[in-house]
Amino acid sequence: MRIHITKLKKYYGERQVLDIDDLIFEEHKITAITGPNGCGKTTLLNIIAGLDKDYKGEIRYNGFYLNKDITDKMTLVFQKPYLFKRSVYENIEYPLKIRGLSKDIRNKKILDIVKKLEIEDLLEKRAHLLSGGESQKVALARALVFEPDLLLLDEPTSNIDPDAVAILEREIIRFNEESKGTVIIVTHNLEQSKRLGHRIVEM
Amino acid sequence: MNYILEGFKEAIRLLISLDKEVLSIVSLSIIVSTSATIFASIISIPLAVYFGIKKFKAKRLFSRITYTFMSIPSVIVGLVVAIILSRKGPFGHLNLLYTKNAMIIAQTLLVIPLVFGLTYGLTKSRGDVIERIAFTLGANKWDTIVLIIRELKVDILVNIATAFSRAISEVGAVMIVGGNIKGYTRVMTTTISMMNSMGDYPMAIALGIILLLISFIIHSLIYSYNRED
Repeated sequence: MRIHITKLKKYYGERQVLDIDDLIFEEHKITAITGPNGCGKTTLLNIIAGLDKDYKGEIRYNGFYLNKDITDKMTLVFQKPYLFKRSVYENIEYPLKIRGLSKDIRNKKILDIVKKLEIEDLLEKRAHLLSGGESQKVALARALVFEPDLLLLDEPTSNIDPDAVAILEREIIRFNEESKGTVIIVTHNLEQSKRLGHRIVEM
Repeated sequence: MNYILEGFKEAIRLLISLDKEVLSIVSLSIIVSTSATIFASIISIPLAVYFGIKKFKAKRLFSRITYTFMSIPSVIVGLVVAIILSRKGPFGHLNLLYTKNAMIIAQTLLVIPLVFGLTYGLTKSRGDVIERIAFTLGANKWDTIVLIIRELKVDILVNIATAFSRAISEVGAVMIVGGNIKGYTRVMTTTISMMNSMGDYPMAIALGIILLLISFIIHSLIYSYNRED
């Protein structure tokens, strides 16, 4: 999914947090957004995701304005993921269930994604009781399981162990290469932005 | 002091002997208040969640009005329902006044603002994060409401229990629309009130003990469910 932002301005009261004249996120690419705290990285991600509609300017998704068809094909993984008070299986199943997929297809997709993220042993556990690294893997599995066109990631690897970081990065790259998904990742980690990004946007 | 002790003794005897009149009063109370709580919950919980996450201009004013209605006096609700159901009222032809159904209607209207207000406040403070996640996963409005109810179910259950407590312990509305007719619309609170004015304490004390027991059992169940969750 190609994102084209023009003349985007965002204010919190009197304070301007975003002023983007023209910015394009190319289709099938991984773009890393970096920058100091408070420069508006997360705000930009929320705006692209459609969570924040209070801004001036224009955003086009494959040439269209945001609509339900587009929001159905994109997702955002938050820095602190919120997992439902259910099993890991049910968490990952949720986006498939609301899309009306059959039980067999849901099961196949879930088993496939948990294998990739190496969380098969967590399936029956209560999701909201997992550790930080495990939670982030489950959140990524829940985001990838319905094969979105656009994956937005807000510092998904902060405060998790290096092994978990390696698995998450590997799956982000695999998603981009195999599913041809567009990825926009906000990160403080310059090394990570170089490892993952086809392009780095400094804010 | 003696008459109070005698009252307690007689109350215990009525409870142990499973007195028919006591049983019929208790069962009617439970039927009326449970039905009212169920109807009020079905109506208000989805609406409360919807308005809790919805952003609109007059939301502050809406919140104030909502919270004001939570403390509406039961006699006012009883009076309004009695007027509506009275023979000359708009629904007089249904002949519902002084029936069990009229009591259910009155208690439903009494606890709707309570369930709505408590769930609305809960959703306003804790529903936002769930709504955001639901949106990013492609949920529509109805999916989001269902998800929020499921995620906050323990707290919502506490709200429902609070509403049930309000319903079963109120006297004004059921007295006005039910008329406290023996064997027909007599419930625990109206009986306690009547027995007190007659100076007949044993039955009043026995029903008071049962009221407290019901409240204790319900809240204990919710507490244990809450801990499990």
